[in-house]
Amino acid sequence: MTIRNTLRDHGQRYRPRMACIKKAEKVLLEMQDPKTGVKSQPQRLVITTIPHAITGEDIITWLADRFQVDTQEARTFGSMLVALGYIYPLQDHKRLVIKPDVSLYRFQTPYFWPTQQWPVEDTDYAIYLAKRNIRKKGILELHEQEHYNRLHKWMNHKWDFIVMQAKEQYRAAKERKKPDRVVFDCQERAYWVVHRPPPGTVSAMDYGLDRLIDPNADEAKTPDFYERMMIFTQQAIMRPRVKSSVSISALVKYCATYRSHDPFLSKCLPSNPWLTDDATYWTLNMPNVEIPTKMRVERWTFSFAELLSDPRGRDDFRLFLKKEFSGENLAFWEGCEDLKWGEAATMREKAEHIYKTFLARGAPRWINIDGKTMEITVKGLKHPHRYVLDPAQTHIYMLMKKDSYGRYQKSPVFKDTLKKAICPEEHQFSDAQLGQNAKKRWPSLSPIILQQMEQEQKAKMAANVDITQLCRFTTPVPHLAVYSGLNDFPTANASPSLAFLAHTPACPSPISVALESTSASERRAEASGGESEGDPAARAPVGGNVSKSRMALSLRRLLKRGCTPASMFASLSPKCHSATGTSSRIQPISPDQPSQAPPRRIGNFFQIKVDIPPECRIYPIESEDEDEQSRAASRGGVGAKEIICPWESLTPQNGTG
Amino acid sequence: MGKDECKTMLDALNKVTACYRHLVIALGSTSDSQNLREELKRTRKKAQELAVANRTKLTSLLKDKTISKDDRAEYERLWVLFSSSMELLEVDMKRSLEIGQDFPLKVPTRHLIQTGMTGSTTTVAARAMSVQNMKYEADSNIDTADLRDLQSEISHVSQMMEEMEMKVQVAPWAVEAKQEAGAELKSNMSVGNSSVGVISICEEEPKDEEGGGNRDAGFASICAVLVFFVIVTVALVLGYLVINMS
Repeated sequence: MTIRNTLRDHGQRYRPRMACIKKAEKVLLEMQDPKTGVKSQPQRLVITTIPHAITGEDIITWLADRFQVDTQEARTFGSMLVALGYIYPLQDHKRLVIKPDVSLYRFQTPYFWPTQQWPVEDTDYAIYLAKRNIRKKGILELHEQEHYNRLHKWMNHKWDFIVMQAKEQYRAAKERKKPDRVVFDCQERAYWVVHRPPPGTVSAMDYGLDRLIDPNADEAKTPDFYERMMIFTQQAIMRPRVKSSVSISALVKYCATYRSHDPFLSKCLPSNPWLTDDATYWTLNMPNVEIPTKMRVERWTFSFAELLSDPRGRDDFRLFLKKEFSGENLAFWEGCEDLKWGEAATMREKAEHIYKTFLARGAPRWINIDGKTMEITVKGLKHPHRYVLDPAQTHIYMLMKKDSYGRYQKSPVFKDTLKKAICPEEHQFSDAQLGQNAKKRWPSLSPIILQQMEQEQKAKMAANVDITQLCRFTTPVPHLAVYSGLNDFPTANASPSLAFLAHTPACPSPISVALESTSASERRAEASGGESEGDPAARAPVGGNVSKSRMALSLRRLLKRGCTPASMFASLSPKCHSATGTSSRIQPISPDQPSQAPPRRIGNFFQIKVDIPPECRIYPIESEDEDEQSRAASRGGVGAKEIICPWESLTPQNGTG
Repeated sequence: MGKDECKTMLDALNKVTACYRHLVIALGSTSDSQNLREELKRTRKKAQELAVANRTKLTSLLKDKTISKDDRAEYERLWVLFSSSMELLEVDMKRSLEIGQDFPLKVPTRHLIQTGMTGSTTTVAARAMSVQNMKYEADSNIDTADLRDLQSEISHVSQMMEEMEMKVQVAPWAVEAKQEAGAELKSNMSVGNSSVGVISICEEEPKDEEGGGNRDAGFASICAVLVFFVIVTVALVLGYLVINMS
């Protein structure tokens, strides 16, 4: 058996939004009364005369009289009846509105009335298109052609039936007299204009998603029903209550703030596209428009969430942060959002990428979060899931909100945007112009194309933002020092080296730059620590960083004794392996490290640095550390050192992460 | 042969379904009347008879395990045609029940919708029943009595369709149609043929002029022309013979 209406047929087609249908049917019946109903007149075609045509103005006057409303409301009501499909226009059949003049309309037959119990079947539409094809000798309109091809593809198994039935229906229709035939064609055509609207037509039967249950229906009082009631009331009792003064004042504040921005309550500048068919409002408010409107900029001042949720606002904020050299916060936040809402297949890679770019020690765009949060995050990253970066993201969000947002609102970037923002004039369309606008409707860009454009933009942004971030490190930013002492060390070291590296003529990728810098700094650290010697690098002179790092190293040694959680991070860094090697008591988690390992490890480490091995391990304490190091050292491959994420499996072959 | 019988029966069922739909569309409008209700009833009965006949035939054909693959594919195609017809019929019957209940005929003030259709549907029903003229002999309370019958018939049809679904294992999506897109533009009288004929089309857009003859008139005129030429030929031959003889 064929499957009918696969899309939404769950056996219960309740769409309670259309409660107007029953009421409209009653009104329709009243309109039929020969004495008190709408006056009809015959329609004269070339040869035939067809009765029961009604004029638009008659309908509107009747509605105004019957319901005691003014003309404008009667007109809207009449338009609704036409949009639903109870009355269809005889001229200009694609525009489902009532015109208050002598244009003619006719009532639709009950079989073609809009109902909810009988879903509109694609089979019927295919038969209709086939019939129309016969009548028009193969010349269908564009949207009809598209539908036809699509249905031919998807209903191919039924196509024989459709063709047969179309021909039979066509022949059966010819059995009737001429005026009836004309009326029938008009009726069918009007039915399909409502249920398969041509592009640009708004039919009232496009009501959105279907609901499965009719909330107005009486529910049977089964034990299950009572159980649900009990659970509901129990939860209601346990719910924390807010004082009504508080909740009401929040509502009042919200209404007062957003009142002028609501297109229902106040004017929509320049004009509401749904009413006037003029899409200027949408083009002016596109996500990536150059010059936003004043209303839009005003919204950004309401709250930080508003600013971030508007793409144009976010761009502005990003620009401001770039000038302040704290763009990595926003980039990290966006990365976390991407992780949260993205596909499950790419989640792991995304989490890795975010870790390498933002959270790892010596990462190119390192963000400043406190030690506890970092600890939780890194631990969670061993088994990454969608919300693993939530604490870090919240921290950064609050940081941006409390700190950068305020500065942004006082910044020249924002003031400039506000000054340039436009305030469009309100449109004044005459009726004729409205008709013109309706004819000129066209469909907007397909969402697939919009998505592709978004991806391209994202890729472009990702490609060209990182290089400029390095300039941040020219001045040691104060918030870096807030981090726990041990962890300060590598970044403090990294900053001068990175600054130095920023001057290198060839601009390598950020991660390799970072790695080289870390390796350079490690080298220097080791050299200054005096634990080994060797040729630091075959690269340009490091300069006076050596003394600085020596000082930092001693500082680190001092501080490391005090910070137990920091020691975890100590072991995170390959640089600190030397430190942990020298004082093995600060390795709480891997007790089985041999005592002679430290010097060996240092030696290996050094070799690793010299040979620029392909791996560099950053992970919480694992006992396979040293084995890895030795194996890596023995291999001595080429390539930049990479930051490996903590959760990767530690097999030698898997070194490149 | 079984296949041809099936095809003719399916054609008939198809025709009756199409006519039934036309009749149901007229229900509730100003072309509704006692006669229409009776036409509906009789068309329905005919449709049911055809449906039962088709079903028995097709089930027996499909249950036969000894048929070839091509044959089986063909029967499956016929089965899909049959089941689609039955679906349309079922929906139309349910809707006619609903509309019939909403628009009773024997009430003092009846509000039939003024749709502009005022003619009768006799010809459509005659086509469905394959008779020349319809005779109406129903009594006056056809609308209420008929509705009760209709309800039972609907349940009967639904039951039949469920049985069909259960008993016959045909995957409808696996069937490939024989017609390609745009096939309705060629004339195709029945299920099996693929002859290309001429179809004359009526212009019926209300904005356009009325024009075009209809099929019967064309056929008649062709016949007349042929007869004329035959007579002329005969006359010429006779004349020649007469001249020869004299």
